[in-house]
Amino acid sequence: MTDIARNRPLPAHAVESRWLPSSQGIVTAAILIFCGGLVAYPLVYLVAESLNVSGEDAFPPAEIGFGNYTDLVDDWHVLANTAFVACLATVMAIVIGFLAAWTLTRTKLPGRPQLERLMELPYYMTPLVGALAWSILAAPRTGFVNQLWHGIGGGGDLVNVYSPFGIAWVMALFEGTVAFVMISAAMKSMDPALEESARVMGAGKWRTMLTVTLPLVMPGVLGATVFVFAEMLGSFAAAFVLGLPARYVVITTAIWQAVQSFPPDYPRASALGIALFAVMFATLSFYRLIIRRGNFATITGKAFRPRTMAMGRLAWVLFAACVAYIVVAVVLPIATLLLTSTQRFATVILSQSEFTLANYQAAFGFGAVRQALTNSLLLGVGVATVGVAVMTVLVWIIYRSRAPGHGLVEYVVMFPQAVPRMVFGLALLWAWLNIPIPIYGTLWLLALAYFTVLLPLGVRTLAGVVLQIDKSLEECARVCGASWFYQLRTVTMPLLRPGIVAAWLLVFIASVRELGVSIFLVGPNAKVIAPSIVSAWLSSSSELSAALALIQTVAIFIAVIVLFRATRRYSREQA
Amino acid sequence: MSEARIEISNLVVRYGEVVAVDGVSLTVGQGEHVTLLGPSGCGKTTTLRAIAGLEEPSGGMIRIAGATVYSAAERRNVPAEKRGVSMVFQSYAVWPHMSVFDNVAYGLRVRNLPRDKVAAEVERALDLVQMRDFATRSAALLSGGQQQRVALARAIAFSPTVLLFDEPLSNLDAKLRAEMRVELRALQRRLGVTSVYVTHDQEEALAISDRVVVMNVGGIEQIGTPEDIYNRPKTRFVADFVGSANLIAGRVRSEASAGGLIGFDAEGGVALEALAVHPPTGNEDRVAVRTAYIEITAGSNGGGDANKISGSIRQRLFHGDFVQYIVDSPVGQLTVRRPPTESFDEGAAVTLSFAPEHCVLLEG
Repeated sequence: MTDIARNRPLPAHAVESRWLPSSQGIVTAAILIFCGGLVAYPLVYLVAESLNVSGEDAFPPAEIGFGNYTDLVDDWHVLANTAFVACLATVMAIVIGFLAAWTLTRTKLPGRPQLERLMELPYYMTPLVGALAWSILAAPRTGFVNQLWHGIGGGGDLVNVYSPFGIAWVMALFEGTVAFVMISAAMKSMDPALEESARVMGAGKWRTMLTVTLPLVMPGVLGATVFVFAEMLGSFAAAFVLGLPARYVVITTAIWQAVQSFPPDYPRASALGIALFAVMFATLSFYRLIIRRGNFATITGKAFRPRTMAMGRLAWVLFAACVAYIVVAVVLPIATLLLTSTQRFATVILSQSEFTLANYQAAFGFGAVRQALTNSLLLGVGVATVGVAVMTVLVWIIYRSRAPGHGLVEYVVMFPQAVPRMVFGLALLWAWLNIPIPIYGTLWLLALAYFTVLLPLGVRTLAGVVLQIDKSLEECARVCGASWFYQLRTVTMPLLRPGIVAAWLLVFIASVRELGVSIFLVGPNAKVIAPSIVSAWLSSSSELSAALALIQTVAIFIAVIVLFRATRRYSREQA
Repeated sequence: MSEARIEISNLVVRYGEVVAVDGVSLTVGQGEHVTLLGPSGCGKTTTLRAIAGLEEPSGGMIRIAGATVYSAAERRNVPAEKRGVSMVFQSYAVWPHMSVFDNVAYGLRVRNLPRDKVAAEVERALDLVQMRDFATRSAALLSGGQQQRVALARAIAFSPTVLLFDEPLSNLDAKLRAEMRVELRALQRRLGVTSVYVTHDQEEALAISDRVVVMNVGGIEQIGTPEDIYNRPKTRFVADFVGSANLIAGRVRSEASAGGLIGFDAEGGVALEALAVHPPTGNEDRVAVRTAYIEITAGSNGGGDANKISGSIRQRLFHGDFVQYIVDSPVGQLTVRRPPTESFDEGAAVTLSFAPEHCVLLEG
């Protein structure tokens, strides 16, 4: 037998030693400094500005005090509005999410897998597009529903979406999808044997549900409630589109107003932002506590095939409810946008309408709008490509490396989750205005901002796949003689490919739809699509904004279809 | 054991507060097949992973083929990929995104061998495990036994200096496991490669090893040939964990004779003659007798003769390959295994007897 290992000696043993910094250690340190800086640096500026009581915008502030925070008392109605709308939207989202999750995981319904996919679509629609569509549909007087109501002789307004209930409704529809996803995950990870043993002991269908299913799923529902509440607190688009016409102001829109006012009131905006950040941070910490403390006998991380129950006639009622949800959250909004964008003046009375493609010509013809479209796609592709490459290394370090500080990396990377987008955008605006590096008002700043706020999304998506990969697959490569980078290239990356594809598409989608951060960072030479929809809306052209919204939606849906195909092929390979 | 291929001295591995391996020292000779045997959590897998470089020790020294790969004193820790060892994992770790050929070729390609050499070596390795016809098959489509063979071929393809096995057979069903045991032993003999094998299955350990290292709570209980371990267990743990044995309590009565035999006063006033591998220190209070080494004769005529104990059969369990009797005797209940050719009824008065060298004094 030939002795290859001896004939071809690998590099000398003595060179390598753990007391010398390893390649993993260096990469970990670099990532910590870079990501930590990206997140922390703007927030430092924001905190400083919120304490600025000198009346002059400068960094560091000439005078420091808590005046801006004590002034928040005068804004009590803004705070009360925020809490009210967030609670209302959370309740709606959880009720819808729970019913849909239970229906789609536990009952025998026709077309269940397709329905499950469709249920996720409202999330990809985005709250901005949803709010626009619902505004066109249900605004007082001019809304399509009210037009029809007047048309058949009704008096007054049948519906009014420019109200707290309207805002909460749109938020629940388009941002509450996450409740459905989280609750169905909790239901799917429950071992059916737990229920089966109750049945075997003699408990009936309903008794089993009350004594076993519900108590086991409750921690998941509670977690989803807290998480969704935090999301709703930081939500901007629906309150912006539907709240401002009715002068119903929440924190996020108050921040926007403070920045847009002349002269801009940055200290007040900063204080509002920090207050919102504090509440959201506390809420998410509470969420983490629930997740960790909860006795998750059900959440084993293992997916089970839940046993489905035949529901008889009730199945059709549930089926109809799911279809109704998809109609109000997807079909109706898209139909509205389609109709509006192809008319000169939006109306639902077709006999009065003038059909035209002028809005699309404007969308693709106007230099500014076309620029925004190209920029958004460019940023989406760029951020997704570079970002996911970095995130993959990050995820590997968090879950596989033993280099010191890998736990800290996870914390840093997940931190942007707790910062409301609006607040982070404001912080970046303020930070980069005060820095002599000329990237403010360029796509570079937007790219950096997107990368930072999308870190949690990408890392979580990739982590799901990394954790499924048996550790010994990688260890074996090392034992066979592969270096860390060789192992990443030949074993880790190929095994991660489905996760990388999914993460790429999700980051792309999230970049293209991004509004909260972008709205503060766009400049004359750096426009992107979502803020352009907002400005079109503000210049009261609902037809042009509908066209833009539809273009954005189409771009996102194409990516979504690719995503669904990729993940479906992956889950088939896994099976 | 011409020259030492692996030397481990005073190895310590900690997981935070927990000491998983506590001062293990061991030498493995060229071409030797050594098995680390012990219950789960005894530190056997951790020791193996420390040899491979997958676990970072916190004390001691490991040398492979004369080169120090880990030394706390010299602050040296050679990474796994530069140790020239190879490993078969419990989960096989066959890469599902590669073909069988690519899996086996991995270690060769890492070493930048020319293409024709890679092909030749892969073929040779696949031949050894009878998987040549599967070379182009995707590894995701293999059965458990086939994956096991691919993992083995991959491990031997690049002719490592040392081969490590981490419970490689534990995921196979009983029948396949017995088959693979025979094949592994034959392969190991043919290649003459130095190997360290980890298992919790004592039968497997005895069947395939040159030497067995019995481990418990992070330390070594006994090192010896399979026959040594079975016939002359040093401690109560080894007697209990390897094979099945009766432990009889009592006191050493007399100094060791020339043949290492001593007198032992067992409980119930029974005088035994026992083997002391080392001169007794005075702390010993137990002897071990293998259940298979006790003979049963009908009638209670024993009284007086050394190593003859009279008793009565309390329970008889027919196992097929053997019959197990629980016998009440003055020294307590004894378990005896006899071939199914003999048969005694429950309640029968019998005499138990065993040779002095099968009655082993355990360390106190």
